[in-house]
Amino acid sequence: MLKIFVLIKQVPSLHNLEIDKRTGTLIREGVENIINPDDLYGLELGLSLKEQYGGEITAITMGPPQAEFALRECLAMGVDKSLLITDDQFAYSDTLQTTLVLKETFDKIKDYDIIITGSQTSDSSTGQIPFQLSEALDIPLITDIFTMEIDNNIFKCHRNFGHESQNISVELPILIRVRRHFNEPRHISLSGIKKAFEKEIEFNDFNTFNCPEYLDGCNKSPTNVVRTEKIILKRKNEIIEGNINEKVQKLLEIMQEHGIERIWTGERI
Amino acid sequence: MDWGEDLVRRRKKLSNTNDYRDVWVFTEIKDHVEVHECALQILGKAREIADKLGQKLISVVLALEAEQYLPVIEEHGVDKIIYLSHQDLKHYHERIFTDLVYDLIEKYKPSIFLFPSTEAGNALAARLAYRCRTGLVSDVLDLELSDEFGNNLLIGDKPAYLGNIVAQIICPNTRPQMCTVTLGTFQKTKMRRENVEIIKVDYKFDKSKIKIKILEAPTRRDKPSSTLSDAKFVIGGGHGLVSKENFDKLFDLAKLTNGQVGGTRRPILNGWMPEHLQIGISGESLFSDLYLAFGISGAIQHLVGITASKTIIAINKDPNAGIFKVADYCVIGDANEILEDLLNYFRV
Repeated sequence: MLKIFVLIKQVPSLHNLEIDKRTGTLIREGVENIINPDDLYGLELGLSLKEQYGGEITAITMGPPQAEFALRECLAMGVDKSLLITDDQFAYSDTLQTTLVLKETFDKIKDYDIIITGSQTSDSSTGQIPFQLSEALDIPLITDIFTMEIDNNIFKCHRNFGHESQNISVELPILIRVRRHFNEPRHISLSGIKKAFEKEIEFNDFNTFNCPEYLDGCNKSPTNVVRTEKIILKRKNEIIEGNINEKVQKLLEIMQEHGIERIWTGERI
Repeated sequence: MDWGEDLVRRRKKLSNTNDYRDVWVFTEIKDHVEVHECALQILGKAREIADKLGQKLISVVLALEAEQYLPVIEEHGVDKIIYLSHQDLKHYHERIFTDLVYDLIEKYKPSIFLFPSTEAGNALAARLAYRCRTGLVSDVLDLELSDEFGNNLLIGDKPAYLGNIVAQIICPNTRPQMCTVTLGTFQKTKMRRENVEIIKVDYKFDKSKIKIKILEAPTRRDKPSSTLSDAKFVIGGGHGLVSKENFDKLFDLAKLTNGQVGGTRRPILNGWMPEHLQIGISGESLFSDLYLAFGISGAIQHLVGITASKTIIAINKDPNAGIFKVADYCVIGDANEILEDLLNYFRV
């Protein structure tokens, strides 16, 4: 039976974001938390693989306790099981610490065939986790897949790699990073929502892993944020005055200064 | 996992940061044709850092017939080049490159290691950071050395919270200090050091370690030659253009001026342009000389993608539109009328 795991993250929604005019920072209050948009393509891939080949699909996230809601959403989409890794000690984990915790998680799970990730999160956007987890678990990472099939324990696919299009085969277990718009993530059905609240969410915390003190996220991550500063954009903000002809004339001058000239296309536009 | 072994590995690193020295740049070869422009730009900044540290700037090259690229690299301020040359290094390979470069790190112990933020550079940097159990700051906007948090620590500025804030990040206790840098962040400088030292490392790799089998000869896949992020002139459109008919004029203007069309989320939702032309969060970032924004109000999701454009002209009816705050030239007026007039000028 295929054991599929999908890694997801809860992030603030990007819609209707507002900036505090005084501090110049993002207003966090009242901002809706959602599943990281890229991860939805991973969930869809996991669910469709399960439909095609059978098996069991589990969603995993690491985050604050409220990330439970993101897992409920995954359960509503049709995921069988879910795991929330949460502990104050994991707060402020950087990518290396996160990878080490995930490695510990999968070492404990032992039995995994396919682990799926999105390309990057919309809040921190490092995109490092798929590569680091591939190193940590010593399993291949397959990216940019087009078509795929699973036969016994062998995964075959067409993928883009660098500037080559390749037809490859690899033995499970593997990691798959799904690119954006790879598929059409399914909507949640009413019966799905009902089922989501009947299913249990498993919790893991610091003690579950029996890991040494040094894994404390904030103090032991190799990178530390020492300061944050508002980005100040220095722009001229010059207002172009005049009637429409004068405005257009001025625009043409600026375009010419930037080397933009009419080119002959040979067709009438 | 064997936490004990991991702990020992880190403690060793922690106590020996002083054993690590020199500034390394992964000097990526693009499409086995030329040295990647971004790598040359990083060399410019890395030269400054190496001078301040009083240490060497070292370029690391893995390529097929790597010798052909060395003269160009020597023109960009390096003290030393460490290179490997072999047929297997024609393209980036995750297992081969990671193993070989990791061996170099273990042997020579660089204090700082910088990578171009490319498909290969990002992947390699992330894998190596894991192996070294060190930190990696991705897509830095700037780099500086400071004694504020430790002796000559590298501070990397990284956009955070959707580009609205810069987080300054250090990596105090582990080495190398690693960062990726996007194209256009730094300026390349042509300069030649005397007596550039060149070290050729013999290629040796056990191919049985490769788990992915290639079933048939791969076909070459050429990426689109002109994408938004390397276009010099970009014409953007937003909801203010009102109709598909008006939006299509952007494509006409682009054809006549050798520009590239992009836009906000709304035109995609309206069915005016394809998804891959989106600029901003979850789309492309611009590094253009000139960006002309028609009928774009300036939501933060769009603005974070355009801030690296050298000059921005915004055209919008609403004098309070957010886009004017980040524009060099502000035209308050009907975007459709102005677009039509511009087009008429170029059509003649």
